[in-house]
Amino acid sequence: MIDWQGIAGLAREIAATVLCAAASVFAIAGTVGVFRFADPYTRLQASSLTGTTAVFTILLASLALSPSVAVAARVVVIMVFFLISNPTATHIIARYAWKSGLEPATGPQKRGKRGKRRP
Amino acid sequence: MRPRSLWKLIRVAATFAVLAVLWLLFSGSLEPAAIFAGLCCSLLIASISYDSFIEEHEAARNSIFPRLLPTLAYPFVLVAAMYASSAKVLASVVTGRVNPRVVHFRSRLRSDLARVALAEAITFTPGTISMDLDEDHFVVHWLNATTRHSARAGDEVKGTLEAAIKRIWV
Repeated sequence: MIDWQGIAGLAREIAATVLCAAASVFAIAGTVGVFRFADPYTRLQASSLTGTTAVFTILLASLALSPSVAVAARVVVIMVFFLISNPTATHIIARYAWKSGLEPATGPQKRGKRGKRRP
Repeated sequence: MRPRSLWKLIRVAATFAVLAVLWLLFSGSLEPAAIFAGLCCSLLIASISYDSFIEEHEAARNSIFPRLLPTLAYPFVLVAAMYASSAKVLASVVTGRVNPRVVHFRSRLRSDLARVALAEAITFTPGTISMDLDEDHFVVHWLNATTRHSARAGDEVKGTLEAAIKRIWV
């Protein structure tokens, strides 16, 4: 007799662990990017790695761990609202910076050496 | 019945339906009193706010109401695009090498809702942020730009997203 329920529970826990690990990698990379990049727009891009990808991956992990269909349905509703609200917040920041005349740095860039003053 | 008042009635009904479904989802109870209260509140709110939920000039039915199957497929397309571009941004954070550009391009989408959905999708994928949207003209900040040509940049940024949205709305 195979314990299917136990196997399913184990698979869900493994999936949630993998997703949480991926989310923490994205969150750390996004935070590092905010400090490494030079100009507000590129920093906003790096922070979207934390704000979008990491949060969405955590939501996927909580979907994998949800105990009942009712809870899973609510997580899906939260995901749908996140799909709408998160880009709106990023867009508001970028739009305000663009409308207020902040010039984005363009062209190929490489991070300067340590100690060099960055703009 | 005049077309204008029929369209008003349809808008109220659509707003009411969306509110009622959301009520059932969030309250999660099937008691008669709860359902009755929810339906009454939905009707009240729909009669007040239908005009800002669906604007009057969006009178083409397929510019408002999404087609079912593409709508169900769209989140998977969006999430796949998000993870693909997240990997690229992750790589450029590690190497510190970026090539940011501001690109301008036009979209073939015709309805307001579809254009807003495309702008949201562009912002949702890391590496591109839509900064301005004026009718069909998009201004996008692009982290790892490969081209300065407007139409080609548009194809690379919008890519599969515009095709997926075009299947939902016009």
